[in-house]
Amino acid sequence: MNTIIEAVPALQRRDLKEIASGFLIRHIMVVVMLLIVAFFAYRSARFATPDNLTNILIAAAPFALIALGQTLVILTGGIDLSVGSVMAASAMAAAWTAKNAGDNPMLPLLAAVVTGLLAGSINGLIVSKFEVPPFITTLGMLTLASGIAYVIGNGAPISGLPASFGSYANTQILGLTLPVVLMIVAILVLAFVMKRTNYGLRVYAIGGNRLAAEIAGVRSRNILFSVYAISGVLAGLSGLMLASRVITGAPNLGQGYELDAIAAVVIGGASLMGGRGTVWGTAIGLLLIQTINNGLDLLLVPAYWQNVIKGVIIVAAVGVDVWAARRGSR
Amino acid sequence: MSTVQTDDRTTVVPMLDCSGITMSFGGIPVLKGITFSLEPGTVTALAGENGAGKSTLMKIASGQYRPDSGQVQVRGQHLPSGNTQAAYALGVAIVPQELASIPEMMVYENLFIGRELKNRFGVLDRAAMIEAAKGYLKEFGLDTDPKTRMKALPVGVRQIIEIIKATHRGARVLLLDEPTSAIAAREVARLVGIVRSLRDQGVAILFTTHKMEEIRAMADRVVVLRDGKLVSDTPLADITDDGIVTAMIGRELDQLFPERPDAGTDTVLEVDNLVIAAGAEPVSFTVKRGEILGLAGLVGAGRTELLECIYGIRKPVSGTVTVSGTTLKPGAPLSSIARNLAIVPEDRKGAGAVLSLSVLDNATLPRIAAFSKFGILSGRKRREAIGTVMKSMRLKSNGLDQHLDHLSGGNQQKVVFGRWLTGEVDALLLDEPTRGVDIGARSEIYRIITELSSAGMAVVMASSDMPEILSLSHRAFVMRELSVVGELDRAQLDSPTVQDSIFRLASGQNAAPVKDTTP
Repeated sequence: MNTIIEAVPALQRRDLKEIASGFLIRHIMVVVMLLIVAFFAYRSARFATPDNLTNILIAAAPFALIALGQTLVILTGGIDLSVGSVMAASAMAAAWTAKNAGDNPMLPLLAAVVTGLLAGSINGLIVSKFEVPPFITTLGMLTLASGIAYVIGNGAPISGLPASFGSYANTQILGLTLPVVLMIVAILVLAFVMKRTNYGLRVYAIGGNRLAAEIAGVRSRNILFSVYAISGVLAGLSGLMLASRVITGAPNLGQGYELDAIAAVVIGGASLMGGRGTVWGTAIGLLLIQTINNGLDLLLVPAYWQNVIKGVIIVAAVGVDVWAARRGSR
Repeated sequence: MSTVQTDDRTTVVPMLDCSGITMSFGGIPVLKGITFSLEPGTVTALAGENGAGKSTLMKIASGQYRPDSGQVQVRGQHLPSGNTQAAYALGVAIVPQELASIPEMMVYENLFIGRELKNRFGVLDRAAMIEAAKGYLKEFGLDTDPKTRMKALPVGVRQIIEIIKATHRGARVLLLDEPTSAIAAREVARLVGIVRSLRDQGVAILFTTHKMEEIRAMADRVVVLRDGKLVSDTPLADITDDGIVTAMIGRELDQLFPERPDAGTDTVLEVDNLVIAAGAEPVSFTVKRGEILGLAGLVGAGRTELLECIYGIRKPVSGTVTVSGTTLKPGAPLSSIARNLAIVPEDRKGAGAVLSLSVLDNATLPRIAAFSKFGILSGRKRREAIGTVMKSMRLKSNGLDQHLDHLSGGNQQKVVFGRWLTGEVDALLLDEPTRGVDIGARSEIYRIITELSSAGMAVVMASSDMPEILSLSHRAFVMRELSVVGELDRAQLDSPTVQDSIFRLASGQNAAPVKDTTP
């Protein structure tokens, strides 16, 4: 056979400077994060103490689970707007179970997980099987699950729960509370799953090009279903942790959390079109938001101004990321 | 002679002048010091293989990309980059390969986007725009109603409307990126006419193409790029077709098509009474080990649909497909893959590859079970297997971790092809395997197809490229209206009148094919 094209050229050599600037550009969010940390540490003596850093992690934990679920959904090119309400419905279901089923810590946990799974599965089924746009499907679930949360409590919070209901949030393992441990484990597990397993690759593939993935043998409906179901379960767990912290089921719990979760994913570099994003990116985005919340509290910035500043920082952070991506791809 | 040329240079200010353009993406140089200029009233062909840097050069010349060094001047003025408005103001317009028209809007609205006509109250003057649009369309030989929605028009007409849009705003430099890649032969003839009349009005035109006939039909001059370098810049009259090809691929292309080994005797693929869509005739055929079956026909004849039904992307109305004795589950690609059936789809970007994934991950997908244990992907095993295949495909990439959207079309196609070859393939379905693939990579792909078939695969190949069908296949079907309307054996494929008979079958006419009327 005749050789028409020359052999593959060896890997192009790049100079050190380019590698260094490439690294900075690729990890621009880490740089932004470090700058923000440095700013708060400089302005507030209390910021960089172990106690305060633990506080940041504790505050981040309930967001972490829903942001991770949201990452998978967004990677497929979808969105899950219902997670905040699903947290509330799951928390209420768990609280109701705890109130009526006595002092068994397993039953409320089961109630929360099943509620989350059910809501997520309904989302997944409607999106994958009936091909209703995810935005609409989960917007409907947002309203529905919130309604269910109020129905369970007859419009009021459920309090006076057995002490064991507080164990989910307050048990300590190696000096960290259970939600923080769960957050760390979930990040590690999902980072591995998305990077190193068939499932992870398939999620990326259908987000990148659903038809091409199907032709290559990916059952895209099953994968789509699964990401919403996972998002639902994680929202259920997250709702339980949040309710457990105050040993009360509140029907308005988790309200608006979906927006912070989506913000974390997007700050982490994911594309809302699907196919691009990482679990580590989401973890950084999550910590970034919580660090800002915490730092602004320490600096005694009034709550309403905090929102203004946070809004600016979210858009600015993503703006920097888009700029860096454009530089990096050149 | 040389003094005359120097005089020309001093009297005629070039319309567009690129000097010392270099550009690299992610550390890989794509353009290495390109210098050339376009004179008014000339048509220049920009030739080169996929990945030679043509599209990048086009984007720099139209101000979309900023070169790493060098600059672009339009009639002596510096062209700023990243600003299409400024490029328009200087009179540079580009008609990209993937058209930038707005399908939901009407023709006249598309024509006037960004510079709408308004009446004295500042409200859109639709009547005036429609009237003006009518004039423009007529000038370019189109009798389209300006109030037609863009999406209702064929690609060729949309493209001409894009050209009108560019030129009626006063463009003096017109860049056409692959203007003929998606349009029918009749539309090519019209395009050639339009390009010539614009040239006669003094517009400088630069276009890219893969096809030699189009270079001959349209260009006055040909500029050849190879691996980011300008290797030839000559008047068309001074260079032969072979000379252009040699410049493009850097060596002589002695034979485009490899020899065709004989087909085997065992049946591998069996299609039985497959009805593609309601109302279509059932299709039945068998393909033997080592046999290449060609599928000819016009666009929309159902070749793609037939391949999709066989593979399972599309559910047939009825009928069965059997590979090596096992009947496939209809509409289930996964079961087809398990039976060693593979497909290379026509639409590489839409159906072939996941551009946001790396070479490694794209090549992993169809054989994912072989590269994993308990759902966990192996690191080294897949890297080795895929690396070996991609090496044999002569893939040009910056390693296996490079994302596909940074590769040229020909290299993407090699990945879409090669990803199947890490495992066994009994039957291979090819849909336009060389669409958008340049001539050098094309002969590579022909070599691969022939090698695979002689290694025992049964191949079904749909193609609009007549030489491809005639040279590679052992047997060919002609399709029309979702049904097979004719079969040609090897002896018929060798007959001198074969193109004529294929055309008659494909068009359903008994008349001889109408010759393209090139003005």
